[in-house]
Amino acid sequence: MNTPLQGDVLELLNEMAEDWEYEGEIELETFFIADLELESLDLVVLGTALQERYGKLPFSEFLAELGEKPVDERDLTAAQLIEFIRINIKPVSAGGAL
Amino acid sequence: MSDDPRVLILGLDGATFTVLEPFMRSGLMPNLAKLTQGGVRADLRSTMPPLTPPAWTTLMTGKRPGHHGVFDFFQKEAPGSEYYRLSTSNDIKTPTIWSLASDYDKKVISLNFPVMFPAPQVNGSVVPGGWMPWRQLRLGCYPPGLFDRLKELPSFDPKELSLDMELEAKAIDGCPDDEYEEWIELHARREARWIEILTYLMTSEEPADLVAVMFDGTDKLQHLCWRFIDPASRPAEPTEWEQRMIDLCEGYYSKLDAMLGDIIELCGPNTTTVVASDHGFGPTWDMFYVNTWLEREGFLVWADESSATADDSAPRVGFDAMTRHITELDWSKTVAYAATPSSQGINVVEKLPGTDEPMTAERRAEIQAEIIARLEQVENPFTGSKMVTDIVTRDEAFSGPHELIAPDVSFMPADGAAISILRSDDVVRRRELANGNHRFEGIFICNGPDTRSGVIIDQVSITQIAALVLYSLGVPIPTDLDGDVPAEVFPPGHLDQVPPQFVEPVATVATNGSDIDLDADEEDMVVARLRALGYVE
Repeated sequence: MNTPLQGDVLELLNEMAEDWEYEGEIELETFFIADLELESLDLVVLGTALQERYGKLPFSEFLAELGEKPVDERDLTAAQLIEFIRINIKPVSAGGAL
Repeated sequence: MSDDPRVLILGLDGATFTVLEPFMRSGLMPNLAKLTQGGVRADLRSTMPPLTPPAWTTLMTGKRPGHHGVFDFFQKEAPGSEYYRLSTSNDIKTPTIWSLASDYDKKVISLNFPVMFPAPQVNGSVVPGGWMPWRQLRLGCYPPGLFDRLKELPSFDPKELSLDMELEAKAIDGCPDDEYEEWIELHARREARWIEILTYLMTSEEPADLVAVMFDGTDKLQHLCWRFIDPASRPAEPTEWEQRMIDLCEGYYSKLDAMLGDIIELCGPNTTTVVASDHGFGPTWDMFYVNTWLEREGFLVWADESSATADDSAPRVGFDAMTRHITELDWSKTVAYAATPSSQGINVVEKLPGTDEPMTAERRAEIQAEIIARLEQVENPFTGSKMVTDIVTRDEAFSGPHELIAPDVSFMPADGAAISILRSDDVVRRRELANGNHRFEGIFICNGPDTRSGVIIDQVSITQIAALVLYSLGVPIPTDLDGDVPAEVFPPGHLDQVPPQFVEPVATVATNGSDIDLDADEEDMVVARLRALGYVE
């Protein structure tokens, strides 16, 4: 059973994947680079899109940490991305103040 | 002013009269020749640096980089930060011609302009260009639903519409000989796909008042194929393969000209057409390794010197290594560095190396002055002449509310030499064959019902295009633009008879380094989404 955030991000990714050459369904265990064949620029732009959706996130630092890993470990799953979003969503009041 | 004015902007990335002049004279580009002969022509002075993101943003805003906030493909995370991120439309801190025209109920079509993601909400349609990955083009299109409508077009192919960093690197750092043909033909197909979109939007939806499309095959081909494109640079006795490349390049320009003719006809006779490039072009043989030079001068230390190796491949700018300086430099000893080859800039660190103490403004100014003094002395070992020209401080080049994220020293390599950020055994290396590289002087052609005809005028600044476009549309011009309407485009006294209207500028905010900048409505949407996900009570 996915959490609401997991469901929301997976729905967005699967909607986008309709335009890609990936025929399966994107799940929590799906890797962005190994499975979806995304490139680094795709992740950068995805980060901007996610911040439009969820507010300011430390995405540059997140990608910088990823970039410092050995080449064969430079990948992340949908679950890891969602966990990053969950941890970094800024608490907001009902009045907004993002 | 003519009734129901329409303005058409034909952006030709990197276009230069060095190439277009002989092509117009030889009959290869008859539509451009006709447009030029019936209008006004001038060199168009670009920005510092003469580079796609800052220069097109200047054209779109009428302001210099220090006033609009875009300096490079990448932006500093924050003033003083060594971290960089991709430039986005949120970095443009001032209204564009798209938003200004929309504010006056003008319908807008903007296709393939850089730094347009996330797409601005305009009265019309935006499909972004620049480094917009094809997989996410759906997210980049405005209004929502536009991407699905475009998918129905017969030859719509987002993979060929978008241009990413890998293709950019191929243009600049080269590709194998057997890839040239496909590379050239790809760009002809790409331009045709943009025309298909433009034609669809103009004929199937409400026609726009401000129609703008940018073609960037001109820039990409000139980088890689300059020796085949520029008639003066071609081999005297080309091989069969070289002649094939020359023919393919001419074919590209011929097809491009036919497309320009189609768009001009589509827009109708009451249209003011502005053809502009973001910068010019010329040949380049040499590569200036700026970080290697900084190392030799004692400003920079590479990390892990024992294992770091010099780049012994063919000279290349290091496009794929941009922003890698974070891990490749020894920050306990480095005081100045270049983060990207495209910025043509050197940054002085904000903290005393090896400490958390801020470097005083006086010490930073001393380092800046030392770098400038030594840059002025660098000689090209192959020619004996100066390696660098147009050396300017941040204050001189970028004075304005966003200058703090700009490089401390900017420069133009002499003779269009390329800049590399990689480590090298030599500060300057020479390529075996000439490539093309950017110059300050781009192109400007303007042809409309109110413009002069068959006239060549003195240089126009790229800062003046926005004012010209707004004036020709009948839209008031904000009083804080850096460029005014170029009066020489019109007959003497025209601007007195039909004076431009002006409007107080919209307040802009200083750059805070954020790549996300939500307005009140967007914040409400985010809050609503987070509430639905249980993050807001």
